[in-house]
Amino acid sequence: MPHPLEGPFAVEHSARLLRNYRYVVERALRAAGGWIALTPELSAKLLLGRHVWDLAQHADAFGRRLPELRATAHQGEPANAAVVAFMDAVEAPEAPHETVERLVGVYRVLKPHLLAVYSQHLARANAVYEPPTRQILARCIEDETRHVTAGETILRHLVRTPELEARAAARQRRLEPLLAAAGGVTGDVPPDAPGGTASPAVETSDDAREWIRLEKAVGAWPMPAGLADALRAFGGALGAGDAAAVARWLAPGTGWDIAGLGARAPRSSRIVAFARIGRQCVVKLALDGAGPTVTLQSRWVPGEAGWRAAALEILGRDPAPAVLPPR
Amino acid sequence: MERPIAYDKLAREDRFVRMRARDVADLKIAQGLPPFPDLSSRESIKERVHGIMVGELQAMEGAGRSVCDFPEAPWEFTLDMARQVWDESRHVEIYLRLLEHLDGFAGEFPETTILWRCACAEDAAARVAGVNRGLEGLACDVFNQLVHIARKIGDPVLERAVEFVLADEITHVRMGSKWLTRLTEGDPERRRRAVEFQETIDERFNLGGVRREGEHDLVPISIATDVRRLAGFTEEEIERLIKTTQRSQVY
Repeated sequence: MPHPLEGPFAVEHSARLLRNYRYVVERALRAAGGWIALTPELSAKLLLGRHVWDLAQHADAFGRRLPELRATAHQGEPANAAVVAFMDAVEAPEAPHETVERLVGVYRVLKPHLLAVYSQHLARANAVYEPPTRQILARCIEDETRHVTAGETILRHLVRTPELEARAAARQRRLEPLLAAAGGVTGDVPPDAPGGTASPAVETSDDAREWIRLEKAVGAWPMPAGLADALRAFGGALGAGDAAAVARWLAPGTGWDIAGLGARAPRSSRIVAFARIGRQCVVKLALDGAGPTVTLQSRWVPGEAGWRAAALEILGRDPAPAVLPPR
Repeated sequence: MERPIAYDKLAREDRFVRMRARDVADLKIAQGLPPFPDLSSRESIKERVHGIMVGELQAMEGAGRSVCDFPEAPWEFTLDMARQVWDESRHVEIYLRLLEHLDGFAGEFPETTILWRCACAEDAAARVAGVNRGLEGLACDVFNQLVHIARKIGDPVLERAVEFVLADEITHVRMGSKWLTRLTEGDPERRRRAVEFQETIDERFNLGGVRREGEHDLVPISIATDVRRLAGFTEEEIERLIKTTQRSQVY
């Protein structure tokens, strides 16, 4: 039976581990904070928003513990250059359509690894003379377990096509070897070390399923009488490439030409946004066809002749539009 | 990572319609409507709540950028900004649920990005002055009035939820005051620029005379003088704000 005062870590080693943790947690924290504005999906925004503060508290706890271990407060340190390269790769995806890549890096690679490393550290840290570190690790494990579960819930919600599944898998395949090459965040984790597991049963007030529910698009837009019919006819005219029929739906003086859509007429149109300004309505139509999806924003006004478009603007051509499932 | 990002990189789902605040106000005036929802009906309360929801969204995004954009700032600054991200994320959720409570939905009214633009200041001191003192100060005014209106119309769900959000906003203003002072210590020129930035935001958020001193029921947005005192605004600052609202152009 081991002596209760036996322990695998010297003070310096323990401080080094905490510096290594602090380095990656601080980088993850700053990346997650910065990504919120760059991420379109509401559920993913809320996921990141909820976890930034937990990560900041983890980095803070590690940083405050350091002087107690004869080290400088709040000084993170990468275990090696490969850890820096791994974190560079984790924080690289910044484009709006790269939400899946961002979340896979953090929630399927980094956080499960942190969970594993913290768990192993806690299991080995001496219970008599390392309770301050153990308490920090226990709190981080609890949070990371919750984070991984929530992240996985959001990823399953967002990764809903074979193409997105392939992208998620490719992202994981790219990052995991980088992490293994670094020897994990502490530089000394063997490649075959057991991974962290997240309990699926964690229930807290910040439930990722609720963020998904809040994100879901409305199934039927609450449109005033006649507008839905007008939009259907307008969409049909656009699909037929019929400039005269399109013009019939424009308010007098509205200068817009179907030629603005380019050579290919859209095959179909769907409403992706509906907003009200007093008695007027702004409608975004996604026009699908052979080429990229075109988003057309139009403002509709009621009149004696019924609803007419008073302003139209092409917002962009998106090769891979994000479509939310209807409620 | 790119630091800071251009203001037009703010990412949104398709369901949101983004328009200039001035254009939305002009379209409403042309229909004989007040440029900003006046809280006189459940419908106008819903529109105000929608505006607050997108404001909270932008506040979360702005605080997140402050965590990201200023790695050289003191660590405690990052901690405060991270805390604010968490608070704002809860506020977004609260206002999404309040929208449901009012039979509304996210995207029902256009989103303007005037708040987000203010959160794109390149200097940390200017950003906290503008966002935490200017915008969060406005939030104190708006939420204080909304609590009053909710109490008056007998909506305890709205009243209680917004009262807790208001408590958080007071904390954010205090954070702003603290960091404006600390970040500009020994650098009066930096402080002057930051305060000037805040004043331009205060002026902008007088919303052409919509924000004024007065009773909750009588003015569209009433300046919450007591709450502002609690948040750490000085009497001189409150007085100056009231004076600027008196000279703001009225729609």
